[in-house]
Amino acid sequence: MKFVWFHLMPYPDLPKDFPDRYRSVWVDIDPSLYDPAVGHRVYNEYIDQLEYAAGLGFDGVGINEHHSNAYGLMPSPNIIAATLARSTGDAAIVVLGDSVALYNPPIRIAEEMAMLDGISGGRLVAGFPVGSPMDTVFAYGTNPATLRERYHEGMELIRKAWTSDEVFAFNGRYNKLRYVNVWPRPVQKPHPPIWIPGGGSVDTWDYCADNDLVYCYLSYFGYKAGLATMRGFWDKMAERGKPQNPFQGAFAQFVAVADSEKEAFELYREPAEYFFNSCLHVYAGFADPPGYKTPNTVRAGVEGMVERAAREATARSEAKAADKAEARASDKPTMPKSSSASQMMSFETMVEKGYVVLGSPDQVISKLREVGTSMNVGHLLTLAHFGNMDNELVRYNTEMLARKVLPEVQPLFENEWEDHWWPRPLPGAQRAEPGR
Amino acid sequence: MSGGAATSAEVSVIRRSVEFRGGSVTVVEAGQGPRIGYLHGMVGLPTHGLPPLVAELARDHTVVAPALPGFSGSTYCDDLRVQSDWVVALSEIADLAGLTGLPLVASSVGAMLAMELVAVRPEAFPAMVLLAPLGLWDADEPVADAFATTLSEQRLILSPNRASTAAIFEDDPTLSDPSERIEDGVSRYLTRTSTASLVWPIPEHGLDLRAHLVRCPVTLVWGEDDQLIPPSYDERFATVLPSVIGRHRIAGVGHLPDWDAPAEVAAIVRAALG
Repeated sequence: MKFVWFHLMPYPDLPKDFPDRYRSVWVDIDPSLYDPAVGHRVYNEYIDQLEYAAGLGFDGVGINEHHSNAYGLMPSPNIIAATLARSTGDAAIVVLGDSVALYNPPIRIAEEMAMLDGISGGRLVAGFPVGSPMDTVFAYGTNPATLRERYHEGMELIRKAWTSDEVFAFNGRYNKLRYVNVWPRPVQKPHPPIWIPGGGSVDTWDYCADNDLVYCYLSYFGYKAGLATMRGFWDKMAERGKPQNPFQGAFAQFVAVADSEKEAFELYREPAEYFFNSCLHVYAGFADPPGYKTPNTVRAGVEGMVERAAREATARSEAKAADKAEARASDKPTMPKSSSASQMMSFETMVEKGYVVLGSPDQVISKLREVGTSMNVGHLLTLAHFGNMDNELVRYNTEMLARKVLPEVQPLFENEWEDHWWPRPLPGAQRAEPGR
Repeated sequence: MSGGAATSAEVSVIRRSVEFRGGSVTVVEAGQGPRIGYLHGMVGLPTHGLPPLVAELARDHTVVAPALPGFSGSTYCDDLRVQSDWVVALSEIADLAGLTGLPLVASSVGAMLAMELVAVRPEAFPAMVLLAPLGLWDADEPVADAFATTLSEQRLILSPNRASTAAIFEDDPTLSDPSERIEDGVSRYLTRTSTASLVWPIPEHGLDLRAHLVRCPVTLVWGEDDQLIPPSYDERFATVLPSVIGRHRIAGVGHLPDWDAPAEVAAIVRAALG
């Protein structure tokens, strides 16, 4: 099993009463909440953390793209990837990714990823999400009815741009290009491995299965909730008679390791509650714009991941409003409640539901093996930083994972299956040494 | 072409299906008398019965009312990507449905498309009554985003009257078969998709540059409580359209005057379109 140290890059200083005072962490979050000095500090800390993980033996480091979002400070993952391409030695650089439909023309993606593959010596994984409705439809104003057609056309253009031996014309519905000629070319041939991050659309399962691409479920909600979604993908593979190679799957999982379970609960409570209660405080009105889902997904009744986040945030807000109403009705003073009060999700619940895999190294080893085997995923995107976790704790968690967990779990699947979706860098003798 | 006759509230109703680009569009023809067109707004046409304004007008007119692609059972059309695609589609459908050349009542997104069509094809509609038309934008008083809300809030933006929006927000109570209910849900989702497609992200596509070509007489009607596009937009339309012959506001009504004030709107239509 390959381990990718994945970073969402959340903004760490939202006010404690953020869910009470603001309606959404995404799309229309109050711009005045952003302190550029904090941004400066955490961008550098976060890049340092990615580099630290790469140095400790994680197979890859991973990043993604969000817009107008306080839990994801990476409108342009390629900028972060460019720094990592220089500063990390052998780790794969997993960009999940560039939201194809948002770039005009999408050959910009083909070009920038070819640059990243070139600078890194062929260590790039190219992720191409359709993108969440908040990012694509609201923050970037893309018509939901045409989003997926734009995406598929962009995918066709990028793949052809990477593989064509000749300059060609591309006459699409959305992209009219008389001369397509990506220069530079990617190091990896025919192109960097392509992973498709999904959030629950049944058509993404079909797309990955039909095109032999990695289906990558970037879930907030852990392996227990993610099982049905990953099964949906593997069912599509089975329908086509294709192999159930676990390396064609990837999954994101929050992980918290300490010497003991008790200590882990103490250490990681605050950042986990910050993430799940503030960073996922998503207004439900942004979660399901008409046209974003395909008819097949509507027909299947599948709830998307951001839809679930918004639904749970709404439920928490409504429970809180009901508590206040009850207090008013009974003429009692409203008692201040801690973040673990009934209307907020408790850390114990997060762990119980599998949102966070937590415990001693042995416990985490056991659970991560279960994650891999139950979901049949050979690429695990570990979120060892979450919420407002401080730098010291991130490094502790990362080191515990790298030294005590990874060596025990990495052998999973490696002797049974070949990973066709992992970067194939240039041989060492051909690799440049940055700074020399 | 296929269809069937029915009776709704004492008027004859013919609901037919007209072939359009490999699929079909629904065309409702109701009542008897001088022919008049109706182009729906955001909620389309109901699966059963008639929009209240059509029922009202059908007492002394023959009302021809097509459902645009994706709306109300008309086949969803992937080819409609930008507004000009929709305008060309309306032109084709107007001819197929027998709408061309009729005086027209059009609502909301339908009114927006009707203005665009008349700008380039003046013979399409000789006179129009436009109910809360979209198509202009004032940054100081922006049109609301009808889809950046929960479903219950979307309904309230359109109308305070839940019955007026049931066609696109509620299950059809006449369906009992689970698979039929699922497909009905998909159909309603596609109606909302088509509406959203017309207004995303801002329902302004340069109409102000072409409005001077809309030379037919136009009457504007607004609900005073319109939560989507403020009633003050009637002044903006009156400024850019060369032949506005009347402006009306109806108290206690939101974005769907054709659903919520059919008698008042019908009286305005009869006076304006004869």
